[in-house]
Amino acid sequence: MIRVDAVTKSFGRQGEVRAVRDVSFSAQDGQITGLLGPNGAGKTTLLRMLATLIVPNAGSASIAGLDVVRDRYAVREAIGVLSDARGLYPRLTARENIRYYGTLHGLSGVELESRAARLIHTLGLDALADRRTQGFSQGEKMKVAIARALIHDPATILLDEPTNGLDIMSVRALREQLRQLRGEGRCLLFSSHVMQEVAALCDRIVILGGGRVIATGTATELIAQSGAATLEDAFVSLLGSGEGLAA
Amino acid sequence: MSPQPSAPPRSRIAAVARKELLDTLRDRRTLLVTLLPALVAGPLVLMLMFTVIAGQIDRARELKLPVVGQAHAPALVAFLTRQQVTLTAAPADYEAKVRGGELDVVLVVDDNFASDVASGRGGKVQLVYDRSRDRAQPSIREAEALLRAYNRQWGSQRLLLRGVAPTVGNPLVVDAIDLATPQQSGAFLLFFLAYYGLFAAVMGGMAIALDVTAGERERQSLEPLLMTPARPLELVIGKWLAVATFNATIVIVTLTGYYVTLRFAPLPAVGVPFLFSVRELAWFLIVLVPLVALLPTVMLFMGARSRTYKEAQASASLVIFVVSIIPVVQLVQQRKDPDWIVWIPVSGQFSLLGQVLRGEGVPLAQLAASFAVPVALTAGMLLLVTRLLSRESILAGK
Repeated sequence: MIRVDAVTKSFGRQGEVRAVRDVSFSAQDGQITGLLGPNGAGKTTLLRMLATLIVPNAGSASIAGLDVVRDRYAVREAIGVLSDARGLYPRLTARENIRYYGTLHGLSGVELESRAARLIHTLGLDALADRRTQGFSQGEKMKVAIARALIHDPATILLDEPTNGLDIMSVRALREQLRQLRGEGRCLLFSSHVMQEVAALCDRIVILGGGRVIATGTATELIAQSGAATLEDAFVSLLGSGEGLAA
Repeated sequence: MSPQPSAPPRSRIAAVARKELLDTLRDRRTLLVTLLPALVAGPLVLMLMFTVIAGQIDRARELKLPVVGQAHAPALVAFLTRQQVTLTAAPADYEAKVRGGELDVVLVVDDNFASDVASGRGGKVQLVYDRSRDRAQPSIREAEALLRAYNRQWGSQRLLLRGVAPTVGNPLVVDAIDLATPQQSGAFLLFFLAYYGLFAAVMGGMAIALDVTAGERERQSLEPLLMTPARPLELVIGKWLAVATFNATIVIVTLTGYYVTLRFAPLPAVGVPFLFSVRELAWFLIVLVPLVALLPTVMLFMGARSRTYKEAQASASLVIFVVSIIPVVQLVQQRKDPDWIVWIPVSGQFSLLGQVLRGEGVPLAQLAASFAVPVALTAGMLLLVTRLLSRESILAGK
């Protein structure tokens, strides 16, 4: 369960770049919540605040009842994050990359090895697991990054534009993964600027524009709310312009 | 979805250090460019220096002296020949040849030498040389010494002929006693040893320190790392331990290379008994500990401030330049280091390395003083790097 309550974040010397303004929403366990918005809408900033990397100027947010500022390290143990930056260590094998994050989460020995092996198997990385990640394709790297983010079995999972740069086969495989994680009762927050992605996957959608929440609801609710025929039309009409959608 | 028990900080620090070392060991190119110079520096530098010195000694021992006007001073010629000097007739353009470095020193006997001596005046000879040529120095000194010796001998003989004791003409009996211990005579050569030891401590950790900071940022693996439960301080300490370990390895390899070369390699005999035994080797390592700890933190700082590896390299080379110029300044000054120098990082270490080489030993109080500032600085720098990693702006600008 993620709760975001009137969160605001500005950057720049005088706080002139207002990336996130007064944003409130919640994301339930056992659901995939989509953060939909054009580039620059504040998705990454919002996710970084939830991931405790940056501190909101105002408002508060909590994950599984833990405050993202006060209990930041407890939050880090409870969440798995696939961030915008998802660099791997090219000289380490896929398994070593995954194992490293496991040890930082306090795992060791047989438990660490079996968890890593299980994730490698579910993500279809068996053939690659003991090769250096140097020459991996985008899709393969993404899978390693996901395994790394899930090694400590987190109840809450944040994903920042996870489908960026992936081919259609990898996207479908990823979707399958996320549905499975939802089925296990986890809380997933998924950001994207691609509406089809969000429509195909998310139970609830939060539309962000210019750092604010524009609308919240299921796809059907959003269509009804805007009076448009499709989700795409609803998205555009709710944002008030077609700007940024090209990206 | 069971909550993990929090790992103790120590195990996270160890995990970071282990991973960084493994990562470095896999990086063949960096290993090669860091380890190879460390391995070959000792043998190469020593071989070169020993050969140069042996050459100089040979030149002095087998003095070849071109002479103008040998016929005017047969007694001098006989004296020099008895002293094993090879005399040749000087070419006509001897001045140009001395200037050009082909001849080290030329003896010119004045045309009126015989008549001057016969009439009781001093006989004139000239030594022609170019003092700015280092290679010629031993020959020049040798020629001057021989002429002085001849002068003394001749004078003594004259006094004896007149029934006067030679001490009347030479009341001062100079008996030179060289107080330099064998170690001291070798100390100048071994300056290079101290310098290379110091240099290894500076250079050894650079590549890895920049890779674990600026490199981590550049390949976008820093942000996910900062989202793990590892505290920034734990990350910094873990990375520092890895860099310092690697740095220490480089220093040990470099110095062991010198030790092995001095001990076992067939170096030309130069008559300077070097003392760089296991004892000195151990002292070197102890004296260099503060730098092995401190310099990686400086490199980590440079790396953490930079967005790319390249940017970091530029600032790191500045550090290297400054640190490597300090010993040269100390050497050129040719003064005994003041007592307080041990408090100054780098200068202090260099001064102590010199003491070890001169066989003077290092008093515990001096050693403690040389540790104080670097240890405090190391702690301070680690906190500074931690602050850099905790800043939100570390995420900006990919």
